[in-house]
Amino acid sequence: MASAVGEAVTAPSGRATVAWRGRPRGNPWRRPWVMEGFTWLYIIWSIVPIAIAVLFSFNKGASQATWQGFSTKWYIGNSVNSVLHNPSLHQAVIQTLNLAVLTTLITVPIGVGFAIGIDRWRSRTSTGLNFVMIFSFVIPELLLAVGLFLLVTQALTFIRLGTTAEVAGLVVWNISWPAIIVRARLVTIGRTYEEAATDLGASRLGAIRRVLIPLLMPAIFASAVLVFASTVDDFVIVEQLSSTAPTQPMSVLIYSNVHGGLSGPALNALATIMLFFSLVVAVVGFVAYRWMTRGERTKSSSAALTSIAGM
Amino acid sequence: MGRSQDTHDRRNRWLWMGLAAPGAIWLLVLFVAPFYVMMAVAAGGVNEFFQTAVPTWNPLHWSSANLSAVWHDMVGSGAFLGPPALRTLLYSASATVISLAIAYPVAYFVSRYAGRRKTLFLILLIAPFWVSYMMRMLAWIDLLQQGGFFNSALSFVGLPGHTDWLGGKSATVVLGLVYGYIPYLILVLYAGLDRIDQSLLEAARDLGLSKWRTFWRVTVPLSKPTIIAGTFITVLPMLGDYFTNQLLSGAAGTTMIGNAIEGQLESPGETGQGAVLALMLLLILLIPMIYYAVSTARASREFA
Amino acid sequence: MAGGNVKLESLTKQFDDVTAVDDISIEIQAGEFFSLLGPSGCGKTTTLRMVAGFEPPTSGKILLDGVDVGNWPPHRRNVNTVFQSYALFPFLTVAENVAFGMKYKSVPKSEINTQVAEALALVQLSGYEKRRPNQLSGGQQQRVALARALVLRPSVLLLDEPLGALDAKLRRTLQVELGALQKQVGITFMYVTHDQEEALTMSDRLAVMNRGRIAQLGTPDEVYNEPADAYVADFLGVSNLMDARVEPGGNGGGPCRVRLGDFVLEAAAGQLDATGAVKVAIRPERINLHPYEAGGANRVPGMVERLVFLGSTTQIFVRLATGSALQTLVRNDGAALPYSQGTPVSVGLPADSLRVLPDPGVSVAEIRDKTLGDQLLDLTSTTSS
Repeated sequence: MASAVGEAVTAPSGRATVAWRGRPRGNPWRRPWVMEGFTWLYIIWSIVPIAIAVLFSFNKGASQATWQGFSTKWYIGNSVNSVLHNPSLHQAVIQTLNLAVLTTLITVPIGVGFAIGIDRWRSRTSTGLNFVMIFSFVIPELLLAVGLFLLVTQALTFIRLGTTAEVAGLVVWNISWPAIIVRARLVTIGRTYEEAATDLGASRLGAIRRVLIPLLMPAIFASAVLVFASTVDDFVIVEQLSSTAPTQPMSVLIYSNVHGGLSGPALNALATIMLFFSLVVAVVGFVAYRWMTRGERTKSSSAALTSIAGM
Repeated sequence: MGRSQDTHDRRNRWLWMGLAAPGAIWLLVLFVAPFYVMMAVAAGGVNEFFQTAVPTWNPLHWSSANLSAVWHDMVGSGAFLGPPALRTLLYSASATVISLAIAYPVAYFVSRYAGRRKTLFLILLIAPFWVSYMMRMLAWIDLLQQGGFFNSALSFVGLPGHTDWLGGKSATVVLGLVYGYIPYLILVLYAGLDRIDQSLLEAARDLGLSKWRTFWRVTVPLSKPTIIAGTFITVLPMLGDYFTNQLLSGAAGTTMIGNAIEGQLESPGETGQGAVLALMLLLILLIPMIYYAVSTARASREFA
Repeated sequence: MAGGNVKLESLTKQFDDVTAVDDISIEIQAGEFFSLLGPSGCGKTTTLRMVAGFEPPTSGKILLDGVDVGNWPPHRRNVNTVFQSYALFPFLTVAENVAFGMKYKSVPKSEINTQVAEALALVQLSGYEKRRPNQLSGGQQQRVALARALVLRPSVLLLDEPLGALDAKLRRTLQVELGALQKQVGITFMYVTHDQEEALTMSDRLAVMNRGRIAQLGTPDEVYNEPADAYVADFLGVSNLMDARVEPGGNGGGPCRVRLGDFVLEAAAGQLDATGAVKVAIRPERINLHPYEAGGANRVPGMVERLVFLGSTTQIFVRLATGSALQTLVRNDGAALPYSQGTPVSVGLPADSLRVLPDPGVSVAEIRDKTLGDQLLDLTSTTSS
């Protein structure tokens, strides 16, 4: 019967032709305006609120809603409430950096080792361990935080709540980043390079050190960037495992002061600082990644970006 | 190729085990063990004096006191756990559906139609990744305040502009969940859609399918695994969320199961019940988590 | 460094339920260019990998200059490999790649640069020291891989289909160069390929492998002109295999008489004491086409089906009265061909070129399908096992 627009039709003479019944609707090569518009709307909805929040961290007044002029008092000016001068704000910034650096330094090496080891050690144990790692990726953070809290308070009480516990928990929570990213890259690299290295005289370990690790550097770096950003952002685990004020990073401070407590723009300032840290690391990571992969076949920027984002 | 690697690797077993050991130990001690402790506390008793939890380590001595207390709280008289549980499901389901509805077209557009501007779009899509969750919620708190932009905008167009958006509205919480979790979903969908071979779609068009039909009969089925994976990594963490509603609402009428868990954990004498609740949530999530783990592990091996 | 004798004794490799290499024994002399030829899956690469040390043998011995190295790891064997994908380290320059293995030979730093330069000169890549692999063409990368292996002066060089990824013209050029290089350096080359032209061109001796076993081992001339069985005959070039039956009443030692359909011909090559059903083979360049009416020994009437112009030669497809289809080849020397499509001819199959081969029990069509299929598989695959 009535065919959809644009289907081939048999002419009355019986011979199939490539005539089309009806006109093809619209230009098949036209730009998809609707989808593009939708995408831009999403992007605006996604970014503008944040831009406004950053803006308000520079608000002269104490309101988070009404703009009262530009000022950096929340960062350095105000002698009581600015980040520079207020001790609890100050400490929070330091603690965030502290946690992020420590966690990254621990998580990346053991995550990389885990990825290489699990990839090659074919046994049921390794498959099981891999599963555990994937679980840690997909489980709600609250459940892990609760478990860790109970572990620290009931069993391993020599680890007291505080920075040590926070770092330990953050490492577990983030180990899936290097494990998954490096593993994916390992699969792409294959075995030939290591074989070539052993053929030329390197021992197994030497081949890993001189050939595999350099080949993995971009992935290692990308995962380090992700672990850093993820830790700066982390809230649930550190909240559960924190104890006194100095062990509370910026994320916890913001959370506890949102409904009263420290004044609004100060929180915005903290959040902007967190944003700044993450962005710096992200940009450094992107640039470093491009530099490291310059010796390989040309990769488009989009490949670099998605690697940094963990895909 | 795979077979020759196996014989190769068997010789170097100890090396691989050694490399994986630190990570493995860390996972076992700090991921697996905590759940045993959780079970010991859930099945344990209470120190009457300090009202602290006393874990029972030996499975043979586990008690079900906490379990019945929680069960009572869920279905007995005066039950109060029902509503948060239901709300959790409702919020997560709506937030996930809305997220998918937004994320899929965006991801589809950027992966297939963005052309030369792909990098630009990717940067814009990845940017929220680097913005911490706190900041994203703070942004909306600022906007939705009584004197904030949103209400001003509403009154500007003539709509009532005095609603207390942050006072306990479910819509706000769902919005927060969507806003918070959607960047991950978009990137997962993007990665999956980007992988779809363009020539498959061209072949479909060549064989006579219209644009719409190609989409429904080729693109969607091909992206099904990605959609499922994306849904999983969005819904599963969302079910344990407790901070979004605290930030954006703070009222008792929007609490989720995560709040109940947290609340009981901190209440003196009820730590055990909090542990039970956490374990119940874990149990419900176990099957989807296993499914996700199996399909991910299988997928990564197929790429080898 | 003298030496380079490779001896494989009853070498077998099993992967779970598959026997990739089935009890093969080969002795390669020092300084020889030896090829392993066969389709994908015949076990040639697995054999090479066992000699290199990437696979432990299931049973059997690998002897390098008399020493059993079967269980030695690769880095301890004085053997180097050129990989099919070259495996150049992308994060190192050409010079650094070539110098990679020298670190393990305790060569003084000053010496390293000299030897690297020598190796690069050997492969005609002087001046490329500072380049990166991704800036080189396929042929250049292959040469760097060669230099990297040769600079370590191994007793044996193993090459795993090194020319597989290059286009035809470059392949031919490099084949000649590789052959010359081997003679110049004097090292034993063990070369794996599925391209029979390559193997015939470059080797001193070669082994044709099929399903983990050696079908025939010999010089290119022997293997091509005196194939031991139908598989080898059909794998190496066109064999024009036909089913035949040996006529009873043999003449003890002399040429035997075979029946092809309605015709009886004399065959003077191959397994002359065979009886019953056999296969016969004749190389295209040995077939002569005569005018239809002309008489003569060993002639079968036929018709020209198709002519294919190949440039320097013309391929002629002829259908015999027996039903078999044959290919023959004539050089294009400028004179016009006295036949065209449809011309009846008398096909001459000289007795001393008509070879009797044992019947493997499968039809000609099946053999052709197998060898053709294997060759197609090789064309479309980039790795072999």
